[in-house]
Amino acid sequence: MNRTFRSFAIITVALVVFGPLGLIIYQSFLSEAFFSPTARPSLGAYQYVLTDSGFHSAFGTSLLVSLGMTVIAVPLGSLLAFLLVRTDLPWKRFLEPWLLVPIFLSPVVVAFGYVVAVGPVGFFSLWAKSLIGSVPWRLYSLYGLILIAGLTHVPHSFLYVSSALRSLDPSVEEAARVAGAGPWRIAVTVSLPLVLPSILFSSALIFLLGFELFGLPLVLGDPAGLLVLTTYLYKLTNLLGVPSYHLMAVVALSIVALTFPLVYAQRRMLRTAGRFAVIGGKGQAFRPLPLGAFRWPAVGIVVLWLAVTVLLPLVGVALRSVVSQWGEGVNISEVLTLDHFRELQVHPNLIRGIINTLLLGGIGGALSVAFYAVIGLAAHRWQSRWVSFLDYLVMLPRALPGLIVGLAFLWVFLFFKPIAPLRTTLFSLWIAYTVVWLAYGLRLISASLLQVKPELEEAARVIGAGQGKIYGDVTLPLIRFGLVGSWLLMFMMFVREYSTGVYLLGPGTEVIGSLIVSLWGTGALDLISALSVIEVASVGLILFIALRLGVRLDA
Amino acid sequence: MPDLIAQNVQKQLGTAQVLCGVSFELQPGEVLALLGPSGSGKTTLLRSVAGLERPDKGKIEIRGKVVFDAASGFEIPAEQRGLGLVFQSYALWPHRSVFENVAYGLRLRHIADAEVRQKVGDVLKRLGLDHLAERYAHQLSGGQQQRVALARAIVYNPPVLLLDEPLSNLDAKLREDARAWLRELIKQIGNSALYVTHDQTEALAIADRVLLLDKGQIQQEGPPEKIYGEPTSRFTAEFMGSNNIFEGKIAEISGGRARLAGDRWSLWGVLKTEKTRDATATALVRVESVRLSDGAGENRLKMLLKSALYLGERWEYVLELGDLRLRTWGETSRPVGEYWIAIPADALWIF
Repeated sequence: MNRTFRSFAIITVALVVFGPLGLIIYQSFLSEAFFSPTARPSLGAYQYVLTDSGFHSAFGTSLLVSLGMTVIAVPLGSLLAFLLVRTDLPWKRFLEPWLLVPIFLSPVVVAFGYVVAVGPVGFFSLWAKSLIGSVPWRLYSLYGLILIAGLTHVPHSFLYVSSALRSLDPSVEEAARVAGAGPWRIAVTVSLPLVLPSILFSSALIFLLGFELFGLPLVLGDPAGLLVLTTYLYKLTNLLGVPSYHLMAVVALSIVALTFPLVYAQRRMLRTAGRFAVIGGKGQAFRPLPLGAFRWPAVGIVVLWLAVTVLLPLVGVALRSVVSQWGEGVNISEVLTLDHFRELQVHPNLIRGIINTLLLGGIGGALSVAFYAVIGLAAHRWQSRWVSFLDYLVMLPRALPGLIVGLAFLWVFLFFKPIAPLRTTLFSLWIAYTVVWLAYGLRLISASLLQVKPELEEAARVIGAGQGKIYGDVTLPLIRFGLVGSWLLMFMMFVREYSTGVYLLGPGTEVIGSLIVSLWGTGALDLISALSVIEVASVGLILFIALRLGVRLDA
Repeated sequence: MPDLIAQNVQKQLGTAQVLCGVSFELQPGEVLALLGPSGSGKTTLLRSVAGLERPDKGKIEIRGKVVFDAASGFEIPAEQRGLGLVFQSYALWPHRSVFENVAYGLRLRHIADAEVRQKVGDVLKRLGLDHLAERYAHQLSGGQQQRVALARAIVYNPPVLLLDEPLSNLDAKLREDARAWLRELIKQIGNSALYVTHDQTEALAIADRVLLLDKGQIQQEGPPEKIYGEPTSRFTAEFMGSNNIFEGKIAEISGGRARLAGDRWSLWGVLKTEKTRDATATALVRVESVRLSDGAGENRLKMLLKSALYLGERWEYVLELGDLRLRTWGETSRPVGEYWIAIPADALWIF
């Protein structure tokens, strides 16, 4: 029973990962879209893309954005981690959950928020103009894009550095204190160097995420004529008038060729980081380092980052959704309205999108957690080389941006005729989402499984329970809280997801995220702002429930 | 027929040979203690019997039924061996009540509900837990948890009861009480038991027979009195009890005994290994075998008492003579000065 269960798990994962990837590779070597009768093997697509100057500049921009955001996000995230984990920063308990909020916000919503808040005619831009006569910043620029990408990715480095700092033996810092070092010196010379592996790991992660950015460059880069690899891919769709699938496949593969080595390097780093992390300390109570006179400036840094990264775009979106029009010389109190929300009802596809989003998050999220749990259980306490094969399989989708997974699944449903009818159902989105979030979801599950002490399962085994009984009577009941937490997290991730649905968007498969992307092309700011508010409100509600239940956001 | 037979059990973990061919038998109703320092392989041996580890070589039989045979690659999984195991950490399932923890094994055996209730009720009553049936593990004291773990392991009458350091998580005081009732209980239900411990007092008190393990090998096996009183190897002698250990030269050998001599002293003892005259040897004598005596005599020495330490229930005297330094126990405080001590030649072992 165990054997069939485990083979089933491995084969299923292999199928959903290699199937789409294989199809992209196959498509890249054709002269036209795979369904065209005149398609034949060719290297023409590679030749076209690799010699296209547009591709070259998109590649360069991607590289710059990735580097730039890493340089901003990693030091800031590490600093915030030190302040929140190791010092007596005031308001710590209140601030901590907020630090992870950007992870649960859709980048396309955030980008839209920045446009209406600090864009050329944004609320705050016009306010600044009325004060000093001109707008002192330019949002639509490479620097604007890099700065915002950097600020919104701070949580990713905070997450890894803070968890490493938590397992650091406080006595090493106390020793530095006794020797006469102040809090900043301790951070720079003791704490952060000791968690260097985690800092490097988060740098590689953020650098990787830079190549997968889509919502931010689409909204913020486009008006300035800036294309990155993903937006270049997106523009190719309409470039030649006919579906240029072979070119898109080559661009997709070129992104994977960049991200895959990064994911692989990260995995290796994680292995050494894990060895490094348990430096000592049994989680004993320790006195946080006193910041002294720096207490309030330190809070200032955290609050300023939160204001710019979370508050600014959200206030922008919320304000934009309740004004009928906006521009220079408009008085806010005269244009307040709820018409945009009423207008949503006129568009059946938007209403369907809202319902679909919630269905996909609620029911789809639960099904995905069930799927991840099956895979997680299959690998649980299994000493075999197949487990490391499964590990590699699972990490592959991390090298695939949602945009590309969505595109690949579109092709899968077009290519394999028997499953073609599923393309216009939510199932196509669900399976694409499940693959995109495979690594994340499995990490949640295995974090829960790790908490189950082996003796608890062995005790059942000795008493006479078979593998199935052990899972059903001991393992799963013990991780039930972890499963609920995972479901809430997947719920939020699925609601905020936007890029995976872009290519699968059609009647029946609308979701808020991909609708916003397609509406952005038409400039329907009123509808976008209303949809964004609904999305953020849904995520906020789930986040509130999750926090009340004590779900750890930093899994 | 023995309840349990282990033949030449070998197990390698990484590069370390944890078990180097261990064989033993467990007779019905017998309590066998697996005693040894940490890393001696005793827990691995117990887990191999339970089926939680797979040995590399060897054969294990339970009540005449082979459950593991490396030669033919045959293995009955742990869940089908029907054994009872008490874990060191108790491993109580936190999501089940005391009653449900104990009842689980019976339910797996498809026993009717009424009978389950009756059997669980009986065993809980026997262990003085009947008033706690609806509680959860975290609501119990360490001693109560330990008894629930035991109840869970014996409720379905396993052929062999396995206990992995079951008392090591209890306070010292509680442990002494638990030791007595645990032996009583095992004897009462008439089960044979394999008892892993690193605590020699516990092993001696609880077991009918002790298997002393070191580095994956059996060093000595026998009833507690023999293990303590007649060690066959230096390891056994040193591992058990509180000891005086000192070196000297063999001055004389006669009929299995030898006279060991040092600076201004010489003592007769039992020769436990092959030695020739003038060879250096190590002598070992239990602290309680050294006695203060009233005057000169055979195997007696006049030594200088350097200090007397108060240990609560007794005094410890530290005595010196030349390069010889001995500890012994007595009932009263004694002033510094010269005293005669006596060591029976049978109690001094020369290796």
